[in-house]
Amino acid sequence: MTTNDTIDQDAGDTLAAVARLLRHAAVRAWAQAEAEGPRSPLHLLGLGIHTASCQAMAMLPADADLEGQPPAQDDIAQLLRSAEELTRAIPVLDQTAGISPLVVAICDLVREATP
Amino acid sequence: MKRQDQRSVGELLMDADFTTRQLLMDAAGQDAPAMLRTWGEVVQSASELWATLPQPFRGTTSPIDGVTITRLESMSQLMHRDQVRRGWPGDGPPDERLLHVAETLTRAADLIDRRGGHIGPTDPAVRADLDAARMRIMHTLYVGAHSVGVAAGQHVRDVELATTRGKSDRESRAVPRGRDAINRLAAFEQLAGAYVGNQFARAAQGEHVHGPHGTERLQQALIGWDIQAHRTLAANPTPANLLLASRTQAGIATAAAAILHAGASTGHVDTHAYEQRLAPTLDASQQAWTQVATRWAEMTSPASRTDLDLVHAAGEVRAAVREVAHDKTTWARPEVMAGRVELGEAAQHLQQALSTAVDLACVTRDIAAQDASLTGPARAMSHRANADIGRAADRGHRGKDVVWVTPGDVYANRTVTIPQPVRAGLVDATDTLVQTASNAMSAAACLDRVTQDRPSASGQEPTAPRSRRPEGPTPLAQEAPRVARP
Repeated sequence: MTTNDTIDQDAGDTLAAVARLLRHAAVRAWAQAEAEGPRSPLHLLGLGIHTASCQAMAMLPADADLEGQPPAQDDIAQLLRSAEELTRAIPVLDQTAGISPLVVAICDLVREATP
Repeated sequence: MKRQDQRSVGELLMDADFTTRQLLMDAAGQDAPAMLRTWGEVVQSASELWATLPQPFRGTTSPIDGVTITRLESMSQLMHRDQVRRGWPGDGPPDERLLHVAETLTRAADLIDRRGGHIGPTDPAVRADLDAARMRIMHTLYVGAHSVGVAAGQHVRDVELATTRGKSDRESRAVPRGRDAINRLAAFEQLAGAYVGNQFARAAQGEHVHGPHGTERLQQALIGWDIQAHRTLAANPTPANLLLASRTQAGIATAAAAILHAGASTGHVDTHAYEQRLAPTLDASQQAWTQVATRWAEMTSPASRTDLDLVHAAGEVRAAVREVAHDKTTWARPEVMAGRVELGEAAQHLQQALSTAVDLACVTRDIAAQDASLTGPARAMSHRANADIGRAADRGHRGKDVVWVTPGDVYANRTVTIPQPVRAGLVDATDTLVQTASNAMSAAACLDRVTQDRPSASGQEPTAPRSRRPEGPTPLAQEAPRVARP
């Protein structure tokens, strides 16, 4: 697995926050999906959010701090929008390579999650 | 009088980036013609801005720098000329949002031209700023191309759906020309993506930007997933990888139920077989994969990493399913799915995926039963051990009072080897998984007969390959193998 070991501290902290938000959004989507039953389309939305969180995690160094309280927000679309807003503060540089596909993935998910 | 724009080049670039993101989040099929008409202006403005940036001092930057933007501009010009020649999407209003992006980039170019174009970038900080500006421009083109491609894809699907109610010649032309535009934009996106990313970015962005569509894409995605899941779990059977594998398998079961329901509703799949056998066994299999995924999730920590190749393969399965079966946040109606793909073919690919799912379930059970290196966070493991023991006690199996995780480990939430009750519960869950996956495979055997009996939509033989049949016992006779408990 390739990680960006030289990622700037601020960018790394922001990206870790993005990863946490996405992870929480995936958990929420799956919880709602399970409540709706095995045929809920939210199962696949949760999968998409989870893979985006894996993308974000892969960009972080191994010792990145990913602990922390889950966000109070439970609305999946809002969590995704918050994650997208956070990515705006991350510079597009060699050290943050991978941010562009992540931004596209999150924007795609926002569109999918918005009725 | 219009107020003068006081923003810096950096702020203008951020504005352009932000607008393309908004465009992507709101992209809709009806916007595609206007977006395709305007996209060329965005690329041209980006290219002009690129040209105004001070040139690298003594060749201090990559030789691909100038080449990439030149190629992108050339691709965009060819696309535009083709649109004019073929008369599609034709004349009409521009897309105001893309026009805003083009104007913003032009404004940035003007600013540099007036104030800083003559500067020789010898200072490392200035060079870094220039590199950042180039990356932001390319990132904006990457996100923008994806937005236009998404809208064009939605537009093509909308037009294809119109076949059910008859469509005009102009609408008919939109399908092949729209597909052509999608392919060109995909190539554009890939080239821009190569600039803003490195090996990681190329691995993470997935194959979805080009390649086959419809059932062929679904088939390739499912086969690719099966191969990658086996590879990853053989090499690196961590809870994080097992979590993604289980969630993806649950997603495949969910998608299979939705697509086969559409097949049954439109006469491509036997309704009785679907209702009586397929639907209940698919639901049970989906729930079993979800149950197992929940247990793997408990064994991961926030820092757990997932194999990127597995992430990529799961993303492609999801994208292929969405292309066939989704409509925004919910499932597409059966007749919509039938308008997109030949549902008999899709059923065959799903039948194969349900067969290979049994093997993946067995692999999962073997890891649960035999992998001595399985670990999890102490608090979650303690909680799970107590819960599983509590359930066993409810069933009349009273055990001794054993401390499965030490208080010190719980306090520090250290990573610990999974306690025996947790492993026993995991093996129980994976036993159920193998059984339900086998039942779904048996039920899906009828799909082979049904689709073999039916002529394909084109009146030709079904195109699905017959060479990749699962080996081993016939589905109905298969007894799920059981492994010894630890």
